[in-house]
Amino acid sequence: MEYHLASEMNGVVAKYPNMCIESKHDVLCGEEKDSKDAADKQSHIEKSYTTILSELGEDANREGLLRTPLRAAKAMQFLTKGYKETTQDILNDAIFDENHEEMVIVKDIDLFSLCEHHLVPFFGKAHIAYLPNKKVVGLSKLARIVEIYCRRLQVQERLTKQIASAISEALEPAGVAVVIEAVHLCMVMRGVQKTNTSTVTSVMLGSFHDDPKIKKEFFGLTMRK
Amino acid sequence: MEHSKQTQYTSNEKTDSGDSGSVLNGHFDGMVKRPAGGTGRAAAPQPPGAESGSHRPAASVMESWREERTRSVEDNEMSLPSLAAAYTTILRGLGEDPQRQGLLKTPWRAATAMQFFTKGYQEKIIDVLNDAIFDEDHDEMVIVKDIDMFSMCEHHLVPIFGRVHIGYLPNKRVLGLSKLARIVEIYSRRLQVQERLTKQIAVAITEALQPTGVGVVIEATHMCMVMRGVQKMNSKTVTSTMLGVFREDPKTRDEFLTLIRS
Repeated sequence: MEYHLASEMNGVVAKYPNMCIESKHDVLCGEEKDSKDAADKQSHIEKSYTTILSELGEDANREGLLRTPLRAAKAMQFLTKGYKETTQDILNDAIFDENHEEMVIVKDIDLFSLCEHHLVPFFGKAHIAYLPNKKVVGLSKLARIVEIYCRRLQVQERLTKQIASAISEALEPAGVAVVIEAVHLCMVMRGVQKTNTSTVTSVMLGSFHDDPKIKKEFFGLTMRK
Repeated sequence: MEHSKQTQYTSNEKTDSGDSGSVLNGHFDGMVKRPAGGTGRAAAPQPPGAESGSHRPAASVMESWREERTRSVEDNEMSLPSLAAAYTTILRGLGEDPQRQGLLKTPWRAATAMQFFTKGYQEKIIDVLNDAIFDEDHDEMVIVKDIDMFSMCEHHLVPIFGRVHIGYLPNKRVLGLSKLARIVEIYSRRLQVQERLTKQIAVAITEALQPTGVGVVIEATHMCMVMRGVQKMNSKTVTSTMLGVFREDPKTRDEFLTLIRS
């Protein structure tokens, strides 16, 4: 049913069937219900970090590093907690019937994610807009959707698309637009080492894609400095 | 005034054998009295619990200045497979599928990235500095500011980034300017604590040049505080180390702090 709706929007999402939003969640949610399983996983991650510390030439027994494997494991689990969350859990109660058809924008949503290629953070801001079709959503839920998808190993393009798809599936609006502007530490701290660059990705669905005037209105309202 | 500390400091210039270690220990173990009007200092926490009190951390700063390298380029190549295996385990432990297209080479990329972020362990101050110390009859303050710094928090293995401002008062010897930035690179590309990083940079410059004074201020954002934990986006941590006349003389310190703010 989800893909039927998504392809109705405009086929952009239909090209990415593997961007399954809900089904992957359910599999992972099922696995993680077992807390002993979770503790095992954490200790595996912890042991891996101990190995990493000694392979990097550090002394894993010095005072500052004694509990670092545990802290790093917990930090990594926090930074990827989005795998365990579903949009259904957070959205179900907060969709309201309103006779509102004008653009709704929530902008400057801080986001922090992990680059799936280097396991190094990228962070920035997300701007989300949608044109309600008789249904509006609690505003913080848009930010919560961003949280779910960004707390994972991500690629910025996919992140943008997943947020847009989640909103369009939940609300069936007349259009959704998502713009993310982020700084990738994997480019700033290493590799090409360009400190001032940022990456902008956007996804326009429905009227935002079809109607240039609506798109322009969106950019005018969000991109003002 | 505190002449005793002054002579302690200058005695460094004569002996750089093991003695100087304990003299500089005196500076670092938190027992140093501040000058009377010392309220103009930037927020410089005395080295926190992990660092102060015991002589061992300061001693290891001294030893490490001379014997920096715990790692070589060959070591890097040999460690890569086990680092990559560790990252594969981590990916699985987080519930991801290491076989999917985006993650296939991630363990290797992440391992190489981590080695890059800790490349300071491969480098020695001596190698970087030896040729670039010059005799100049200059005794006014030299400042290099807004040096971008990227480090890794040793507690969470998450990046720290910010800016370093360095000032020193030469005592007949000046240093090539980029070497100050290279010293920052060597010490920041490690698993670090911001307080220790600040101190190590200041000590390295002191030992290389024996200047009249050194001041180092670091202003940084800690992703471990921003992305997780208390999650305060706009917070910054400022640490400073003032040695020699920067510590003794409030006017010198004020000049330094004013010039780095402008």
